Amino acid sequence: MTTVHTMDVLLDGTLLMLNRAVGVLRRRNVTVEQLTVRPCGPAGGSRMTFVLHTDAATADRVVQQFHKIVGVRTVEITTVHDPTTEEQP
Amino acid sequence: MSETLSGAHILCRTLIDAGVDVLFGYPGGAIMPFYHALPEFPRLRHILVRHEQAAAHAADGYARASGRVGVCVATSGPGATNLVTGLATAHMDSSPVVAITGQVSRPMIGRDAFQETDIIGITLPITKQNYLVQDAAELADVVREAIAVAQHGRPGPVLIDIPKDVQNQKVEPRASARGQSLTPGGSPGIPEDGVRQAADLIAAAQRPVLMVGHGVILANAYAEVRALAEKTGMPVITTLLGISAFPEGHPQHLGMPGMHGEVHVNRAIQRADLIVGIGLRFDDRVTGNLSAFAPRAQVVHIDLDRSEIGRNVPTAVGIVGDARAVTRRLVAAIQPRSCDAWRAEIEGSRRPQDASFRGGMSPEAILAAIHDATGGECTIVTDVGQHQMWVAKLFPYRRPNTHITSGGLGTMGFAVPAAMGVHLARPGEPVWAISGDGGFQMNMAEMATMVQEGLPVKLAVFNNGYLGMVRQWQQFFHGKRYSSTPIWSPDYVKLAEAYGIPGYRVRHASELADAVGQANAAPGPTLVEFVIEQEANVFPMIPPGGSLSEPIEAAV
Repeated sequence: MTTVHTMDVLLDGTLLMLNRAVGVLRRRNVTVEQLTVRPCGPAGGSRMTFVLHTDAATADRVVQQFHKIVGVRTVEITTVHDPTTEEQP
Repeated sequence: MSETLSGAHILCRTLIDAGVDVLFGYPGGAIMPFYHALPEFPRLRHILVRHEQAAAHAADGYARASGRVGVCVATSGPGATNLVTGLATAHMDSSPVVAITGQVSRPMIGRDAFQETDIIGITLPITKQNYLVQDAAELADVVREAIAVAQHGRPGPVLIDIPKDVQNQKVEPRASARGQSLTPGGSPGIPEDGVRQAADLIAAAQRPVLMVGHGVILANAYAEVRALAEKTGMPVITTLLGISAFPEGHPQHLGMPGMHGEVHVNRAIQRADLIVGIGLRFDDRVTGNLSAFAPRAQVVHIDLDRSEIGRNVPTAVGIVGDARAVTRRLVAAIQPRSCDAWRAEIEGSRRPQDASFRGGMSPEAILAAIHDATGGECTIVTDVGQHQMWVAKLFPYRRPNTHITSGGLGTMGFAVPAAMGVHLARPGEPVWAISGDGGFQMNMAEMATMVQEGLPVKLAVFNNGYLGMVRQWQQFFHGKRYSSTPIWSPDYVKLAEAYGIPGYRVRHASELADAVGQANAAPGPTLVEFVIEQEANVFPMIPPGGSLSEPIEAAV
């Protein structure tokens, strides 16, 4: 079942690192609805937060792929919710 | 005043300190400072290839045969882009290759300078890690880290891009400023509950099979896998890259699974109630149609790469860890059992091989001649296509890691250059590079490298005048329209003569033993052309996307 996953990735903060991280999403053909990057943690670190509309298994595979990247410090799925239960305005 | 060294000198020193002794490369403008320094380091043997793709494949072959990193070197721009296929090959097959590329000087980067290309960007998806070195003071650390990353955990290629002015930059060498803290995927502890669950499943299974992949070779887990097989009696299936991880003559060995797997092997998978997979990734050439794969089986999957567990097939028990360490634990945790009735059932479905080849020039006869000439004490490097499947199915490998091929990427042109690297890793034994007439012509210029560098690789060409595997697909699935698959070849004997090496042409089985024996015994590189049936097919075949239960067993 497709759900909305918000993921948080803490990176060593070079542009190359960011490029590689985004490449994980592109290569797995995952649709990204939002993507934000901001400085975080020790000097040069970045936090990349993004929202995926996908099933739990794919989200888990994305997490595993991030774990393989040199320079990724942490990866976590921070929120998961079912879009069909969202309140309508 | 302390000593200062150029980036190029630091690079050479660091490679030597890391145990590197051979480089495969090709010089050019942006890597010239490195090549200027190189003669001062005679411990680094440089092999001048004829195309950078060959440097990457040779480094890959060296890495696979030695278990250590293979290093290739190229200049910027076209030199670097020519490495790409070799790096992608190494990436798909988890081979620890380190590529060193020259780059235009730092002030020129981003200006579309002569021979500038963004090789970092180009190789991002096909490397485990890559680096653009901005300061010679970082170079030693980067090289050390690159070598560690390439080898650590699941191995893979790493690229180091070094601007020309960084190679010339003089700095005071310094001790390592950073450790290997960036190395990903530290060794996980072995989960005891997973081992116990796997042992319980093995004890309860009626029809278990053991599937063995490249991870067993990478982890040097031969003895442990054999112990597991023999303690349980499980039949053993070896994937394309797992071939030679388990002895071919062993009574429990079944063969290769998947698209060109023998009927009894695929049938065993389809009838199994348990698959114990070690160091394989259940790729589509192994599984066929995933929804019809092993419909009765639970899967125990042991792999070093957590992301492989459950990726392609649902897994009852996934154990993340080194194949050797996990298998050793599993052997200790299981009770002895046998699978005699199950194995007898499988053996009952074995089919005889098709032996109708013109002039008796069957793949079996050719490979038997190579086996007899070498006494089986050789490493076989194959290319991609029909011959690759014949070798995978028919050569009686008895020693570990003596079958080297491009599995995941399926790179035609791999065998000839990769065999040069294999020879340098194993100089004491014959290396046979077996190609088709298509793949051989892709990198046959490397014969010049073999002559110049004294690399006695034995070259075998299966010549059927077609790009045989593509022709086979055209025959089966495209109405026999042989579009662009007939391929002309030069006179290979004269070609060998032009390169100054002995060449042999074999048209009849009666000539096999003499020609192969002479080629194997000659001191330098030699070439043997085997003229085979033009429209022979590799049987059986699972149609792409088809189920393992529905093989094609004869031409339609």
